[in-house]
Amino acid sequence: MKRKTKITAWPSLLALIIIGLSACNHNLNVQPQGSLIQANIQNLSGVNGLLIGAYAILDGENVPVAGDAYGSAGSNWQYGSVCADDSYKGSVPSDQPDLSTLESWGLSQGGTTTYLDEKWTILYLGIQRANDVLRVMRQSTGISPTDTAELSGEARFLRGYYHMDGRRVFHFFPYVDENVSFVNNNLDVPNSADIWPQITADLLYAVNNLPEVQPEAGRVNKWAAMAFLGKDYLCQRKFDSAKFYLDQVILHGVTASGQKYALTTNFESNFNAPQKNGPESVFACQNSVNDGSSSANDGGNGNMGDVLNFPYGSGPVGCCGFNNPSWNLANAYKTDANGLPLLDGTSNNGPVVSDSTNLYTGTLDPRIDWTMSRPGIPYLDWGLGSASWIRDPNSNGIFDAKKNVYAKSQQGTSSSTETVFWGATQITSLNTNLMRFADVLLMDAECEVEVGSLDQAQIYVNMVRNRAANTSGWVYKNSTYNPASGTYTTGGTAAPADNYLVKAYPTGAFTGGGQTYARNAVHFERRLELAMEGHRFFDLQRWDNGTGSMANTLNTYVQVEKTRHSFYYVVNTAVFTKGVNEYFAIPQQEIDAENANGKIVLKQNPGYN
Amino acid sequence: MPKKTNGLARISSMVVAMMLFTCMAFAQGKVTGRVINKADNQPVPGATIQLKGSKTIVPSGADGTFSINLTGSSGTLAISAVGFLNLEVPVTAGSVAGDITLTAASTTLNDVVVTGYTAQRKKDITGSVSVVNVADMRSVPSGSTESLLQGQASGVSVVNTGQPGGYSNVHIRGITSFGNTDPLVIIDGTPGFLHDINVNDIQSVQVLKDAGAASIYGVRGSNGVIIVTTKRGRSGKVTVNYDAYIGTQRPLKKGWRGLANPTLYGQALWQTYLNDGLVPSNKQYGSGATPVVPDYLIPTGAMAGAPGTDPATYALYTNQITQADKAGNDWYHDIFKPATVWSQNISASGGSDRSVYFYSFNYTDQPGTLIYTNLKRYSARINSTFSFLDNHVRIGENAFLLYKSNPGYLNLPGVNSANAIGVSYQIPTIVPIHDIRGNYAGGLGGGLGNAPNPVAIQERQRNNHNEDYNISGNVFAEVDFLKHLTARTQVGGMVDNFYSNAFLYTAYENAENNTNANSYQEIYGWNTSLTWTSTLKYTNTFAEKHNLTLLGGTEYISNQGRANQSSRGNYYITDSASLTVNPNLWTLNAGNASTQTNQNPNILLNNVSTPTPYQSNIYSLFGRLDYNYDDKYLISGTIRRDGSSVFISGQRYGIFPSVSGAWRISREKFLQNVEWLNDLKIRGGWGKMGSISNISPTNSYSLYGQVANQSTYDIAGTSNSATAGIANLQYGNPGTTWERDQLTNIGLDATFLHNKFDVSVEWYNKLISGLINRVTAPGTAGTATATAAGPLLPFINAGDITNHGIDLAVTYHGAALGNQLKFDLTGTFTSYVNMVKSLPPGETYIPVYNGATLESELKPGHPVGSFYGYQVVGLFQSYSDVAKSPTQDGAAPGRFKYADVNHDGKITSDDRTFFGNPNPKFTAGLNIAVNYKDFDFFMLLYTSVGNKVLNAVKGSTDFPQAFGNAMSTRVATQSAKIISATGSPTNINDSTAHLANPGASVPMLEQSANFSNSTAFNSYTMESGSFLRCRTLTLGYTFSSPVLTNLHFDRIRLYAQVLNLFTITKYDGQDPEVLGNNTLFGIDGGAYPNNQKQYTVGINVSLH
Repeated sequence: MKRKTKITAWPSLLALIIIGLSACNHNLNVQPQGSLIQANIQNLSGVNGLLIGAYAILDGENVPVAGDAYGSAGSNWQYGSVCADDSYKGSVPSDQPDLSTLESWGLSQGGTTTYLDEKWTILYLGIQRANDVLRVMRQSTGISPTDTAELSGEARFLRGYYHMDGRRVFHFFPYVDENVSFVNNNLDVPNSADIWPQITADLLYAVNNLPEVQPEAGRVNKWAAMAFLGKDYLCQRKFDSAKFYLDQVILHGVTASGQKYALTTNFESNFNAPQKNGPESVFACQNSVNDGSSSANDGGNGNMGDVLNFPYGSGPVGCCGFNNPSWNLANAYKTDANGLPLLDGTSNNGPVVSDSTNLYTGTLDPRIDWTMSRPGIPYLDWGLGSASWIRDPNSNGIFDAKKNVYAKSQQGTSSSTETVFWGATQITSLNTNLMRFADVLLMDAECEVEVGSLDQAQIYVNMVRNRAANTSGWVYKNSTYNPASGTYTTGGTAAPADNYLVKAYPTGAFTGGGQTYARNAVHFERRLELAMEGHRFFDLQRWDNGTGSMANTLNTYVQVEKTRHSFYYVVNTAVFTKGVNEYFAIPQQEIDAENANGKIVLKQNPGYN
Repeated sequence: MPKKTNGLARISSMVVAMMLFTCMAFAQGKVTGRVINKADNQPVPGATIQLKGSKTIVPSGADGTFSINLTGSSGTLAISAVGFLNLEVPVTAGSVAGDITLTAASTTLNDVVVTGYTAQRKKDITGSVSVVNVADMRSVPSGSTESLLQGQASGVSVVNTGQPGGYSNVHIRGITSFGNTDPLVIIDGTPGFLHDINVNDIQSVQVLKDAGAASIYGVRGSNGVIIVTTKRGRSGKVTVNYDAYIGTQRPLKKGWRGLANPTLYGQALWQTYLNDGLVPSNKQYGSGATPVVPDYLIPTGAMAGAPGTDPATYALYTNQITQADKAGNDWYHDIFKPATVWSQNISASGGSDRSVYFYSFNYTDQPGTLIYTNLKRYSARINSTFSFLDNHVRIGENAFLLYKSNPGYLNLPGVNSANAIGVSYQIPTIVPIHDIRGNYAGGLGGGLGNAPNPVAIQERQRNNHNEDYNISGNVFAEVDFLKHLTARTQVGGMVDNFYSNAFLYTAYENAENNTNANSYQEIYGWNTSLTWTSTLKYTNTFAEKHNLTLLGGTEYISNQGRANQSSRGNYYITDSASLTVNPNLWTLNAGNASTQTNQNPNILLNNVSTPTPYQSNIYSLFGRLDYNYDDKYLISGTIRRDGSSVFISGQRYGIFPSVSGAWRISREKFLQNVEWLNDLKIRGGWGKMGSISNISPTNSYSLYGQVANQSTYDIAGTSNSATAGIANLQYGNPGTTWERDQLTNIGLDATFLHNKFDVSVEWYNKLISGLINRVTAPGTAGTATATAAGPLLPFINAGDITNHGIDLAVTYHGAALGNQLKFDLTGTFTSYVNMVKSLPPGETYIPVYNGATLESELKPGHPVGSFYGYQVVGLFQSYSDVAKSPTQDGAAPGRFKYADVNHDGKITSDDRTFFGNPNPKFTAGLNIAVNYKDFDFFMLLYTSVGNKVLNAVKGSTDFPQAFGNAMSTRVATQSAKIISATGSPTNINDSTAHLANPGASVPMLEQSANFSNSTAFNSYTMESGSFLRCRTLTLGYTFSSPVLTNLHFDRIRLYAQVLNLFTITKYDGQDPEVLGNNTLFGIDGGAYPNNQKQYTVGINVSLH
């Protein structure tokens, strides 16, 4: 019996084992599934794909984790509007406490907020994706010199754009070119130098290498790059250079689709998805919905960073009640008997717009009702605005955001139906305007004021005001809203929703008023035209230039807001510190990360602890 | 054995010998007999019968009989069998020894326990192995088998949840990794999962804790190894067991006791404004001098008879008429209801001398007390072994079939996924469950925060599915040849198919996101694993005293899985009154095609989030040597070489050796005559193990990819289509290799006082080096560590942590009243001290976020999981107190005063400190088993001492400014009150403001949220998490009567049981036992409590 066992059973078992041994060792080479390695993308379509990926960060979002984009929205609503005098954070103070900290300009916790680190890292994600285009292109084959120049131009524009945003938020924001990478282990980049020269170089390269017309509406073209180059010089207060480029953009510029730059007939067209990429759109984040990109944590290619900024409860869309326009902003839309803004600083005095206890009954710039929701004023086709849409009446005031909200009849087409994301209804295909022609005109007007050509500045300002004065573009009551055109039906029982009066400055007003008057008028116009579009904080920052004007403006604002139901009513100790709060803190996490070797590489901005 | 017996035996054997003397010549020295079990008179198969002083050994057959040849005319038979006391019987050649009765061993030293790829007598083990008492382990009815290890094995820390089917946190000897620290589970030789195994099928459980025991599992051994062997049946008659119980689990009476009722809430709410110097007002409570509790929440703040309260005007959204619950809704008990649990188990086993089999079927239905949570599990096991060719060849299989349905309570995406328990303490008590039409009520009316209705959350997912179909097991063949060699090959595996779906209704009653379209999602996927193990074993004894075992083997393991997640929305509403959709419509096809999304989701694989698809393979060679001299000096060595596909070829292979030795001092001559000492062994071991459980299988590659939500962009401006782009998704690190442990273990095992005491005590030191951890990089990499936005950073080997501690197990077997009263006490004690030793070069700490809040840091010198933030030293008493204290943002009377840790006179982020450790100082279990006549009593006590818990519930209920949530009565009545210099109520803007109640520890009620109250993570909510729990108390009665035996009943036992009879703790929340992950734990945000009482009755029946 034993012998039999030996012969039949165990040798065959042994044979099996030996066969197995040789087979198994090969299986340790397992290639990753569903991914590419760099060798796969070293060609034109690969590099073009990387470039699309670099554009995809314009919305400030790349979210594997829920909530990530609130601090990094491409619209800059949190920094540009909430931290200035355009709006309050909204909701209760303890909701998104990071933004409460930033909104009250605290000095000790700013650096530890996740908001600032989100902004920081998303900008570098965009920068590194642009760098990936340049890095992979160098190792690619079969890309023509023309394509190389064009792809490099777009990539360097995006790199410059992201750096410029970082420069404005953080001031000492390290410049990261394509030689800085994880692989090169040189990510501890210092922030000692001002990075405007490198930003300028990127934008200039883009201007020199990009075509005037692009095959796709969302691509940056020569003129958009030039507009940002003008903005770059303006931020550096190099008004001659800025004017040089902005003038050309105004005179010759066309959109990426080849349409001559112009103001749209109606103001609202800039905030209406069906009318996007019109003649006024210089550069925008192209938001899209229902393209299969939503996931449980994010709304895909829509405006993820602005997902909270909708009226609350039973209000339009019904979300979270964030980014409520301030009393101060509403009052700024008061006009005098000539249809001109109250440039003397009195707009915030006396009766208050839409305040039932102290109601302002005078004339208003009609742009107010495209910029914010007010009780009793038609809100697109959603019915009349209501104070009940306010989440926390004590700290939110009575106004709601509007420029980022779609019409009720557009729900499902301009808003996401990809219900895998919890806030699908708040994900929209409205573009985030990163530069529109009105912005270009007003920037050039700033230059003209500073170089002394006040009449030319007035021409630009009046172009913007005349568009606002176009009655076809006003909000009407007892009327029907047409979302295709962004207008209300006029005639019949329709009547302007409020007592609107807006007029161009009379000929010679700027020259007659002098440079200070003109400067004030241009700055004021910029606020009215571009309110709630994430610009205000950075405009105040640019105009401050060490004078303390920003601190004055905002501390004055807080003093009055404290007495009204507003964020500062509840957080009434907020003070804007001159010389500190013009920029935000460098994220503490980044300081810790870059300085972990004991050498101080990344420094905190002055005044923050 | 008493001398008397020996004498008697000697005399009797002499008598027998003399009587049979004449027959000796033809009897050929043969002795036959039968070995039976004293307890039930059943035969004991497989007992070893050895003629003392010779090499002659025979086993008993399936019927217990044996036949052995003596060398002389008489001799002594040494009879041993697993689980029985050794017995020596003098016999005479040619005699019939008759029935030899073995008594169940009260010592476990001779138990054969299964360890790494082999089996050893417990007394021969040189490594650290805890043998679990399976009967005790079974005493707690539970749907999660790993939870039953709590308090049953020294060195094993288990934290459980009350969630049906919920996973436990199991740590063997502390926290051994920043990633997954689940121990390796080997079931019948194949890697498997303990979670769903039928506990009634388990024959034995061993926990391998040190390198000497676990190093043979190489790279998978780092977290410890749990070896499970399932029942195999015995030769002999068929035995059928039937076990069933039914019980009722009762919600905690306490609930959120202490939430303020609407009247008290309104008053306190008014105080929040007054303290801040603001004019009180609220959408519901009005704006008068005093708050008015409204009759209606919709219309907002309306009183009876107000416009819009006429039921005829009811309409969803525009006028969803909802009456206020003026007395206050007890949300806790709206969602926690008594639940009836039951289970039935039937098994049959038996066999012949050529084959044995075990078959079982189990059905368990364990609904949770949280409504619509449930675990239903059907499982079957078929184990069989066939032997042939004179028992030299054995083949067999183990198969386990499982179907379970376990709808979770957290499986919905988005806001509506809010944990119902978590929101039940947030939603104000004034909100009723339903509006006047029976639709759900919520925060829509305004001024009610934004917590969703917890009853709605649970009821809306009652039809959701979460199902799992799983087959696991192995087939094996084993051959004995060339006398000393045994070859074995085994192919094991698992095929797992899972499906879940979820429907999200439009939550019209919510304060926010109340118009979202409904949506539906389905997840399908599969997991497979294959393990092929082959071993060759050589066993021999030289010169009687040199016992040698050599084992060599190969193993190949392959794991793969893939899953799909799809969703659609805008389903046709079948009930427009409540915006619901009939579950019959819940298919993807019925949804709007334009809303479709698809992806390969992350799945939970044994509770570890795993991206799909995945694939990883391991190929290993291993060897083992066990040598003992005269059972006195024992030495053992193991070595394993693992190759893993998760590393590139140059880094792929790792070698993991161990050596261990033991000295059984009690076998030395100088201790032979120590009466009270039965056995004493000291042992020690050192070895290395590894871990890759934390690493992504693609770690070495830099990867690019097209991902819809990361790299696509609508470059053409179409508004509804996006151009695919490419993004760098991962930075690879080809240099990454194994995480290594070095484990040193010193232990002492003793049995004394006539085998009444068993003691095992061990000290260990575990150094985990080259921890596999995701590298952190500055944001300039374009990636965020906290939120994982941007390319994934690779795992690298960096950082060390240590654990050292003491494990202690003590057993006492006692008897009284002439052996009528027997009792067994088993105590286990587990302690570990965990410490981060070092981090990757250039890193001073690794932040650990809870959501967006930094709550812990991994930092050298501090235990993993330590809470990190501002230490509250008290409340500011007055502005003069503020003035003389370190500068602090938002400092004011009635707010928190933080410790100035660095004494620089100002409170900054540098003053954050490690203020609490959630690791227990020790945990211990005590099993008390008492038998008196036919009664049995069992009690299991478990304690955890010295761990801190963050009662995060207070973070909501004690800070009413947080979202307008419900408020605790404590904060409404005992918070700091500020008064002016003249003693009258005042507000924070009054420079003379000071506390009227200086002893208050609850901060002042406020509207504002600032650094000095609720926005900074601080120590306010920390409490002691120590507790002592009576986990189970059981009283049973066994019917024994010849009548029953004649009716084929071997045994009938009835029992009654109470689970969680008491929990002694100072903890103020529901239950201090809270789950966490490996770097953040001990945080109670409203956990599913594990201390609910359950009353159970059950029956055990054995038939033949």
